[in-house]
Amino acid sequence: MSFGILFRDELNGFYRSKVMLFLWVGLPLLGLLLYYAQPSAGETPLSSFIALVVSAIGGTLSSVMLAVTIINEKERKVYDLFVIRPIKRWEIIVSKFLAVFLCVVVAATIAILLGLAVDTVRMGALPSNFVGDLLSSFAITLGMIGISSSASALIGIASPSVLVGVIAVLYGSNQLSAAVILPVLLMNASALPTIGVSLLITGVLLVLACVYFERKQL
Amino acid sequence: MPEDDIVSLSHVSKSYRSVEALKDVSFSIKRGEIFGYIGPNGAGKTTTIRIMIGLLGRYQGSVSINGIPLAGNKDKVNLMLGYLPQRAAFQEWRTVDQALSTFGRLSGIPKTEVNSRIASTLDRLGIAEYRYRKVTALSGGTLQKVGMAQAILHDPELLVLDEPVAGLDPESRYAFKQLFRDLRKEGRTIIFSSHILSDIEDLADRIGVLSAGRLVHVGTVDELKRQVTIGKQVFLELAGGPAWETIAESLPGVRSWEHLQGDRYLLRLEEQVDVDATIHELMTQLMAKGFRIRGIYPVQPSLEQLYVSYLQQGVSL
Repeated sequence: MSFGILFRDELNGFYRSKVMLFLWVGLPLLGLLLYYAQPSAGETPLSSFIALVVSAIGGTLSSVMLAVTIINEKERKVYDLFVIRPIKRWEIIVSKFLAVFLCVVVAATIAILLGLAVDTVRMGALPSNFVGDLLSSFAITLGMIGISSSASALIGIASPSVLVGVIAVLYGSNQLSAAVILPVLLMNASALPTIGVSLLITGVLLVLACVYFERKQL
Repeated sequence: MPEDDIVSLSHVSKSYRSVEALKDVSFSIKRGEIFGYIGPNGAGKTTTIRIMIGLLGRYQGSVSINGIPLAGNKDKVNLMLGYLPQRAAFQEWRTVDQALSTFGRLSGIPKTEVNSRIASTLDRLGIAEYRYRKVTALSGGTLQKVGMAQAILHDPELLVLDEPVAGLDPESRYAFKQLFRDLRKEGRTIIFSSHILSDIEDLADRIGVLSAGRLVHVGTVDELKRQVTIGKQVFLELAGGPAWETIAESLPGVRSWEHLQGDRYLLRLEEQVDVDATIHELMTQLMAKGFRIRGIYPVQPSLEQLYVSYLQQGVSL
């Protein structure tokens, strides 16, 4: 029950602090703006371009959001009033991760759907394998966001300050998530194993973050 | 653990790397009492409190609440206690209502009851009008009252308060102290640390004195007074007469004196004298010399004086 309360609370927090608005409106808008600002982008379908933008920016956004939130709340001793109640510490971390992940996934979905709608209007009928390819790259993007977010949870718990945390996120979790996509790009490998590896790494990092938070002296 | 003890710490030690923060601390708190925990900064008060409520792990010794060992029973024990840190911190996006609603629900209050509990708790603390304000818009005193609200919302048997009145204005401090008294009347047990010794003296049934990680006294303030030799003192207020200096050096039984303000003096008596007999003798001699006396009475040492003397004398149990 406490996990449900914490998860709803985190979503409520993103809603109240306008993070959701910025993500859900901001990410699709940013995709559109960048598309029309790039002279060469016109050759690429908007939905594919937006998927690229989402993978580049969505992962960074979610990982920075998560790490900074955890560092701030840890520094201000916000967690004290939670962990003295009958809840498990991992519930705090997993609820935060899922809330951030969900927010970014919804933002990415809105952005890509907007791109698809524009592409359909512009191109008429879409090529037969277009949607399948788009879904594959979307799933890989989500995998990357999962890896960078779970790594950022770990960084957030370990970092002594926001600055160190942000640097570690940009240098560490984002690069780690990008490494997963390399086999697909370099060897033209299938997306399915990449998604599987992403899920596995995300799970391992999240477990590590939870174990570390459990043992950490707040 | 005796039945009337609600908290028991047994041989608790805690180190942060090479620094020993707590050294073999043992004490118990009786059900329904207010227990004051005093010590200088860095003595280990907060460490003890954080161990007691399960926020700090990896310590030696054992802690039990209501006879239940804390180790391995955190969830059960946590439902019995309310905790207020020195500065209650909430996520910045929350209103008072959202913060209390979450903490109430996490503490096991049913969804159908949580609203009425929040209303009555805020009412009790005199901050009902702040219910829908954001926590970032509140003053330090009001925020601490919200902190107190989350601590008592679920009606816990034991309240653990870490420097709860530090940084509060006099009015809020008075309100908090009154609340503590009311909670004691309702049968709650309260342990609170403070460096404002007068607050502890006003409220505490018993005190624990911590010095450099070691518990050096547990008992009532009166017991502490009996253990510490703090010179006998007499307060004297004159209402006129000859110059004070004409008699000051020849007062019977007086070792030294201090001019406080106006015609008020603090006389420190010699150790072997009887205070009442000396007061009688002083009055006789002062009146014979033409002084008019407005007041003369023995001074009880404050907890602050006792505490300083205690640490200076290095008394250990």
